[in-house]
Amino acid sequence: MIQTPPGRAFTLPRKAVLLAAAVFVTLILVPAFCHQGYALRLMGMIFMGIALASCWNIMSGYTGYIDFGPAAYFGIGAYATALLMVRGGVPFFLSIVLGGVVAVAFAVPVGLPTLRLRGAYFAIATFAFAEATRQAVLEWDRVLGVNFFQGSHGITLPIGPTHQFFYYTFLVIMTVLFVITYLVERSRMGYALKAIHEAEDAAELIGVNTLKIKIYAYAISAFFTAVIGGVDAYWLTYITPNDVFSVHITIKMVIMCLLGGMGTLLGPVVGASFLTLISEPLWARFPYDYLIIIGVIIVLVIVAMPKGIVGTLLEWKVDSRGT
Amino acid sequence: MGPEQNIILEGRGVSRYFGALAALSGIDFSLYEGEILGLIGPNGSGKTTLFNVIVGVCRPSEGKVFFEGRDISGMSPHRICQMGIAKTSQIVQPFTRMTVAENVLVGAMYGGGLPQKEAWEKTREILAFVNLDKVMNTPSGKISIPERRRLELARALATSAKVILLDENMAGLNPNEIEEALDLLRAIRERGVTLMVVEHIMRAVMGISDRMIVFNYGEKIAEGTPREVAENPSVIRAYLGDKYA
Amino acid sequence: MLIQAIITGLLLGGIYAVYSAGFSLIFGVMGVVNIAHGDLVMLGAFTSYWLFTLGHIDPFLSIPFSALTLFIVGYGIQRLIINRVVEAPPIMSYICTFGIHLIIANLALRLWTADYRSITTSYCGSHLECAGLVIPYARLATFGMAVVMVGGLYLFLNRTDIGRAIRATAQDREMARLMGVRANHVYAMTFGIGAAITGVAGSLISSYFVIYPQMGLSYTVTAFCVVVLGGMGYIPGALLGGLILGVLESLTATYWNAGMSSALTFFILFLMLIFMPAGITGKGIVE
Ligand SMILES: Nc1ncnc2c1ncn2[C@@H]1O[C@H](COP(=O)(O)OP(=O)(O)OP(=O)(O)O)[C@@H](O)[C@H]1O
Ligand SMILES: [Mg+2]
Repeated sequence: MIQTPPGRAFTLPRKAVLLAAAVFVTLILVPAFCHQGYALRLMGMIFMGIALASCWNIMSGYTGYIDFGPAAYFGIGAYATALLMVRGGVPFFLSIVLGGVVAVAFAVPVGLPTLRLRGAYFAIATFAFAEATRQAVLEWDRVLGVNFFQGSHGITLPIGPTHQFFYYTFLVIMTVLFVITYLVERSRMGYALKAIHEAEDAAELIGVNTLKIKIYAYAISAFFTAVIGGVDAYWLTYITPNDVFSVHITIKMVIMCLLGGMGTLLGPVVGASFLTLISEPLWARFPYDYLIIIGVIIVLVIVAMPKGIVGTLLEWKVDSRGT
Repeated sequence: MGPEQNIILEGRGVSRYFGALAALSGIDFSLYEGEILGLIGPNGSGKTTLFNVIVGVCRPSEGKVFFEGRDISGMSPHRICQMGIAKTSQIVQPFTRMTVAENVLVGAMYGGGLPQKEAWEKTREILAFVNLDKVMNTPSGKISIPERRRLELARALATSAKVILLDENMAGLNPNEIEEALDLLRAIRERGVTLMVVEHIMRAVMGISDRMIVFNYGEKIAEGTPREVAENPSVIRAYLGDKYA
Repeated sequence: MLIQAIITGLLLGGIYAVYSAGFSLIFGVMGVVNIAHGDLVMLGAFTSYWLFTLGHIDPFLSIPFSALTLFIVGYGIQRLIINRVVEAPPIMSYICTFGIHLIIANLALRLWTADYRSITTSYCGSHLECAGLVIPYARLATFGMAVVMVGGLYLFLNRTDIGRAIRATAQDREMARLMGVRANHVYAMTFGIGAAITGVAGSLISSYFVIYPQMGLSYTVTAFCVVVLGGMGYIPGALLGGLILGVLESLTATYWNAGMSSALTFFILFLMLIFMPAGITGKGIVE
């Protein structure tokens, strides 16, 4: 947990800002020097991972409410974008934003009842919601006798631009989410989120409208998850319900965040980079044992480093200062 | 009591059932502005339940609660807090991984409705007032029991509450610490806060209360000055009787 | 047709009840939402499958083997892994069991390929016919076993020393420890027993359903639903929840669309959590 000493809440550490800006500028320049499709694609995927992990972090990392259903919003965003572009001829960037809006339109009514649930119940309810949306999109056409989502046949999008395009799109989304997380962490809302995590009833008792704060966090998270889903749909050019509503998307978000450190600014960055970088070569080398190895890594990390990479480092730093 | 007899908080016929159990039955009470009202009763007599009903943690099954003349029954806890009633909990619930100051800050920002900058100022003032300024940057999970009790109070004060309900805020303190806690309560009253105090430590609550109410099995069995209450036969029978008769 | 659908549903629900009881036990005692639960069903099913295919042992006779195998697996998982995160925030145990799910499901995939398999016993076609209703013997026997297993688990928890130790630990870990209960061992026993009964369900399932290494997750999801219906952590609730879900699914499949029955499962699950988190019995654990 990053502590903000009183009085310094509004001043950013100068060095950190400079460093972040330098990284950002470097990342903008990379495609100018590196024309390798593979490298840009890999970087793009890392950015997407960081963005997704940040979405989950804003909601679950800070509040401790384990959302096991973000795949619902990823899928909603993917389908909204696909349908808008294919059926409505809506331009890409407008489509992804509209996809985010659709996701919020789901997140608020879904969040209102579910965010009153605690612990495992919230986790299971959100999971059920995600699976229900997947099933609904899968079965919709058959049950209603229409031709809308095209069930398991999926939807083909217009052929997307180059990897470089997605590199920049995800770089922007990732940066926006990073800045939002930074601002939220220092804002009133950030304190309320952490308070909810620690002792929700006590937070409510000292004036925090906990449900409202949770809904905000949930809606922000849903909006961006859907935007990312929309971009990814365009990148993939072909989507089916089983791909974009997959529980594996949820799990990836959770694990990246957990690996890096939940409720920390840098956790998603570290976790997503780590997971993407190790899983790509693993997947290439051991396509059949890949998931087994990932399973082993998950278990080992949880048992050995329950606070995640960033959390463990922070703790180290605190301990070595002799607190 | 002095001349000001403004009722700030009032309950009329408040009942609360848990299944067949009547944790509170038909409680009437009035809290006068500026006073310290002691609430005593044996274990399980409904003291905590009354507090929970007042601050909106649970709804009254029957009856109503009025704050400054407005019906607040059924409102959510954060609304009631923002209106001006805060409660400290029997079981302290600090936000353990946040610093002591941040704990108080949340109260000042949300309960007190202050912007962050003003909230920090208020936080510093209150931490100095309850004598927690030395540990303000310590994670609240790492402070001592008496400090935690004071932190509960500090969070309540930070919300700019007009009424603070204290549920066994002195439990687990030694005699010296109790004296300090009592001084602090008097100082809080000096700030113009009205207090309602649940306490098992009889000497403490008798000493500090202007008036007292006694509960037994969810019913109010006596009301009056500490002396009147102490001499009331039904109180001795029902309450003290358990332990001393 | 209605009665036939209900009977089919009840027979199916019996199976749901068995492995959901295991899930409920593990959640009730340790607060662990075991995402790898369906994989334990799969392991039980494959134990019976191999004993049948290689050793010609009838799936009903191989029940003790799969129970024992799964007990060992469950005990080991808890002892080696989950005991280390049981005190940590619950998310840790969820993710941990998800990791275990990945390991088990994909190891099975590597060992046994993705093929769909089934057991063909001599009696698998025979059934009881009365008043126009068709009741396969195997399913009837399965249902009987299921009821016996859930009842047995309930009695075990209430009547035996280890059962009482488990319940004591579930209620108050610290207190139980002070009274000389070794929590780590009790937890491992709990997981072992929960896994064993789930392994039995797997054997029963192998006697008339297709089985394949990736079947686990959908069984886990059904267990969520059953357990939430009956009340999380309340063992007899699993029987009630299992039967209700079985009948509902069977009715949906008969009168509407088989594809809708799993959508319905989630829908019920979602609504139950929101409106009746303690389950139909009202006896589930709600924090
Ligand atoms: N949420 C609840 N559900 C069911 N019963 C409850 C609940 N809260 C309190 N009770 C019951 O209501 C009665 C009154 O409890 P309460 O906590 O108000 O007593 P108390 O006077 O504060 O006792 P103590 O001095 O021990 O703190 C008790 O019998 C208690 O068991
Ligand atoms: Mg009490």
